[in-house]
Amino acid sequence: MKRASSRASLILIVVALGAGGAAYAGLLPSYWVFLATSVLITGVALQSLGLVAGRTGMIALCQMSFAGVGAWTVGYLNLAEAPGGLAAWILVGGLAAVPFGVAIGLPALRLRGINLAIVTLSFATAFDTILATMTYPGQTDFLQVPRPELFDSDEGYFVFVLLFYVVIAVALEIVSRSRLGASWLAVRHSERAAAAHGVSIATAKLSAFALSAFVAGVSGGLLAGYLGTLVAENFSMMQSLSLYAVSVMAGAHFAEGAIIGGLLVVMFPELLRRLDWPQDIGNVLFAIGATQALASGETMSETFRRQFRKLLPARAPKAAAAFASDLPAAVERAAGPALSIDGLTVRYGSVVALNNVSLTVAAGTVAGLIGPNGAGKSTFIDAVTGFLSSYQGSVRLEGKPLEGVPAHLRAREGVRRTWQTNRIAPELTVGGYLALAAKGLSTSETKAVLDWLDCPHPDMLVASVDAGTRRLLDVAGVVAARPAVVLLDEPAAGQSHEETLRLGQRIAEIPKLFGSAVLLVEHDMDLVRAVCSEVTVLDFGQVIASGPPAKVLSEQAVKKAYLGIEEESVAA
Amino acid sequence: MSRLVVSNLSIDRAELPVVSSVDLVSESGAISVVLGANGAGKTTLLEGLSGIIPVAGGTIAIDGRELQKARPGARSREGLAHVEQGRTVFRQLTTEENLRVSLHHPGADIAEAYALFPELVQRRSVKASLLSGGEQQMLVIARALLTRPKVLLIDEMSAGLAPVIVTRLMTAVRKLADDGLAVVLVEQFAALALSIGNRAYVMRRGRVVYDGDCAKLRQSPDELHRLYLGGAEAAVPV
Amino acid sequence: MRGGAGLGTYSGPMPTRFPDWEKMNALLTSAVAGLTAGGTYALLGVCAVFTYRLVAVVNFTGAAIGTAGTFVLIALFEAGFPIWPSVLAGIAAGTLTGVAIGYIMTRWFGEASASTKAAVTVALLVGLIAVGLRLTGGQHPHNMPELFPGSAFRLAGVEVTIASVLTIGLAVLFTVLSDLFLNRTKIGLNLRALADRPMAAELLGVRVQLLSLLVWGMTGAFTTFALMIIAPQRSPNFMTLSLLVVPALAAALIGVFRSFWWTLAGGIALGIVEGLASSLDSVSQYRSAIPFLVVLAVLLWSQREARWDEAR
Repeated sequence: MKRASSRASLILIVVALGAGGAAYAGLLPSYWVFLATSVLITGVALQSLGLVAGRTGMIALCQMSFAGVGAWTVGYLNLAEAPGGLAAWILVGGLAAVPFGVAIGLPALRLRGINLAIVTLSFATAFDTILATMTYPGQTDFLQVPRPELFDSDEGYFVFVLLFYVVIAVALEIVSRSRLGASWLAVRHSERAAAAHGVSIATAKLSAFALSAFVAGVSGGLLAGYLGTLVAENFSMMQSLSLYAVSVMAGAHFAEGAIIGGLLVVMFPELLRRLDWPQDIGNVLFAIGATQALASGETMSETFRRQFRKLLPARAPKAAAAFASDLPAAVERAAGPALSIDGLTVRYGSVVALNNVSLTVAAGTVAGLIGPNGAGKSTFIDAVTGFLSSYQGSVRLEGKPLEGVPAHLRAREGVRRTWQTNRIAPELTVGGYLALAAKGLSTSETKAVLDWLDCPHPDMLVASVDAGTRRLLDVAGVVAARPAVVLLDEPAAGQSHEETLRLGQRIAEIPKLFGSAVLLVEHDMDLVRAVCSEVTVLDFGQVIASGPPAKVLSEQAVKKAYLGIEEESVAA
Repeated sequence: MSRLVVSNLSIDRAELPVVSSVDLVSESGAISVVLGANGAGKTTLLEGLSGIIPVAGGTIAIDGRELQKARPGARSREGLAHVEQGRTVFRQLTTEENLRVSLHHPGADIAEAYALFPELVQRRSVKASLLSGGEQQMLVIARALLTRPKVLLIDEMSAGLAPVIVTRLMTAVRKLADDGLAVVLVEQFAALALSIGNRAYVMRRGRVVYDGDCAKLRQSPDELHRLYLGGAEAAVPV
Repeated sequence: MRGGAGLGTYSGPMPTRFPDWEKMNALLTSAVAGLTAGGTYALLGVCAVFTYRLVAVVNFTGAAIGTAGTFVLIALFEAGFPIWPSVLAGIAAGTLTGVAIGYIMTRWFGEASASTKAAVTVALLVGLIAVGLRLTGGQHPHNMPELFPGSAFRLAGVEVTIASVLTIGLAVLFTVLSDLFLNRTKIGLNLRALADRPMAAELLGVRVQLLSLLVWGMTGAFTTFALMIIAPQRSPNFMTLSLLVVPALAAALIGVFRSFWWTLAGGIALGIVEGLASSLDSVSQYRSAIPFLVVLAVLLWSQREARWDEAR
């Protein structure tokens, strides 16, 4: 992963050096340089939007207001003759936007993304009127924001902006490949699955917001240096709305997407101007483009990437030999119950989903939980892993009660789960997903865990992995974290007979290899028979049998629960 | 002639093949029972038939008219009714309002629904979310009947219900078939379903592994047990 | 601000109490002045709730749809057509715009997530405003006929305009009518079924897409009429009117996108607070910030009991 990240950054730096050098040497007409600077500044604003809208999937409609905060801050610092010059002022301007970003993110933490759209749009309106009452600092005295001496010419300022763009792009590239970046994508795809990996939803969303506001603030500061003085119109709500449409259309969370977007915003009106057409048609195009991107689920950047990939010969990542000895060391666990559930009762209104269920998973073993449809197995997993708002009874992990502990902290304590439905963010790489699921895994350990479960190469994109393998990847993630207990929710669903046999062997090895006890929820009885030492059967939310699988599966009550066959008719 | 003819049907869910090359027929006046353990693909099969999810391949025809490309609403108007699992009553509507939603077919009359399930009459103005599980099941079956279907698909109607109610529902479904409806009944609980059914299909891992007479399967519980709870793969009798 | 003309006549024998009385009266005047806006916010808010409850779209184009219809009226009026036929043509245009947007939403985004649908309406809003500004000449002032000039009655010495009575009345009417429509007609019944379980309704042969378009058309017609009434009081330019969606959504949030009556009350209250704020010199220029503060407060409050929901 580090390799991919540094390669992308390197390409960016080389291209930037070329462009910057050409501009500085005066090889480009200065009007084009002037326009190109504008493209880059818009690109910075788009990058900030790509962070919240593209990565965390929230609708943010006040990005230019954050930019306004940055711009006005730069103006005040100029007026106050603050030390440090423009570069320092721009950074302060970015920081000044952060509290706004966090404050606006707060009300959207636990609610759907649509609320954020309403908050941000109303903030943009409010900010519009407030900004309209404040002339730009120094404007009345004809005081312009001075550019740094070295970058004073238009060509020079282009290089100045380019430096900012590159530093921000490289920084975002690095962050987005970190565990934090992976957590943004995970939160976007499924908040529950992210929390099940120990990700704090609040931290993930607020960090994205803070960083995004900072970058937006920087873009405002850059604009201040570019134009010298500003008006409220530069940061109006319409600008924010239009920027949002462009980011959706171009895919602003990709490095090239921000540039494509910047080109669209700057060059399209320029083109229309030259054709003597009204320039505001641009927004119509952006609206159509964004709608089209949302309908097809593919942004311009993604389309380009797909077509670019078609041109290149397919290059499968080289399979390096991995050794079973590279598997991360098992965590030593004391003998005794890893997970003990006592008297677990869950009610939904008047319906009792689980009634006084008790169950123990001993350390070092694989236990099974089975039962017909609607017996309460999924509710059981939700309760144990902290995804229900309330339940009665006690859940203890290695003797420690978990009541009142939220889902992401339970995951960190050592209760991990997989999901029946695929909840892995498709934008992640296989290796990136494993890094999200299990903190601090080395490259060889990652490779070894993936090989152990026949998962693809770490550099593969999850999107290109078939659904059956994604389920295995889900299992790989939780065991790589080596928690005290893993709850596997129907891992064999959709696997072929042979794959199921192999998966069974792997599940049986989990306690020895990783030190985690396993609770397996499964419908495939062959698998249950093969790997579980103890089985608990649920029916109508009650435990109707428990014990060794061979004994339990031959009990009349179990047959009846599964087949609805009366004892007589079976005997007949 | 068979009313519903399904041939070589395949359905994927999240790119996974969940139903593979299934052939199935349902005759007027008969009940085709589809059995199988959880996760075998029974519900997906019905959802593909009624158009809730798209099919990957194969054909679905009622009286010779192919429907596999039509929207669910169009299939309903062609005479296919689907009683989904989980008793999908309109929760905010009363019993009678639930029934009235399907009254767009000339000649359909709420009285028919009440005649089939007289239990519903005194609950007519009760909000459907407050009905018991059995009453909700009766309501969704009655609601589907008012669309005047030729083929009725019923998914897991006995899940979570007391045996006496299940018997009541099974009797009603048998009567509907006797009156000329073609019924496809998906059940996890085999015994009762086999006792009212005509033709049985057992699914495993998305494929039909048994296709034969209900009565025959009923007489060999060991075979059924193996098909459900595992052991050696069952052979497909021809 | 209108309606305060009678103020100067109040001079009594008790000059010491005079300033208090005048202050009270001024406050009342400005509160009442906010009623027209309040009624409009309420109606737009109720339409937003209606759209969300029945077709599950948080619609950012709500006010823009009505604005399109309003400008058809303005164009016809400026071209010399008689006013009432122009009003009808405008309402028809607003209805059509609503249906067109609804068609895009049902045709391509029927199965999309709620947040994708909202994003689409944001994109469409950008396009609508751009087209609208182009066709109407941007900020160029227009001659918007006042459909209902004059005052309806006096309340504690303050004149209440017909426009304000009418917008509030229309909002109440829409709420009552939609209640009746949903509860007393077969189409309303089908709509409620559709909102409850869209797939179950479709499986019963209910014409889901047609019904959705009906919802879009109805809200389009009502918002258009509401905007025609309020337009003369605002600077009637395409953008400012389209952005009335902000207080409308704030009102809808007060009703948690569920309750019509809370939304109605929320919208009216929002208008009154705005009216009051505009009478206080220190805050009057910031009164557009009020919806933001309301949204912030409502969301923070409603977050108390947020928990994991199935969809996520």
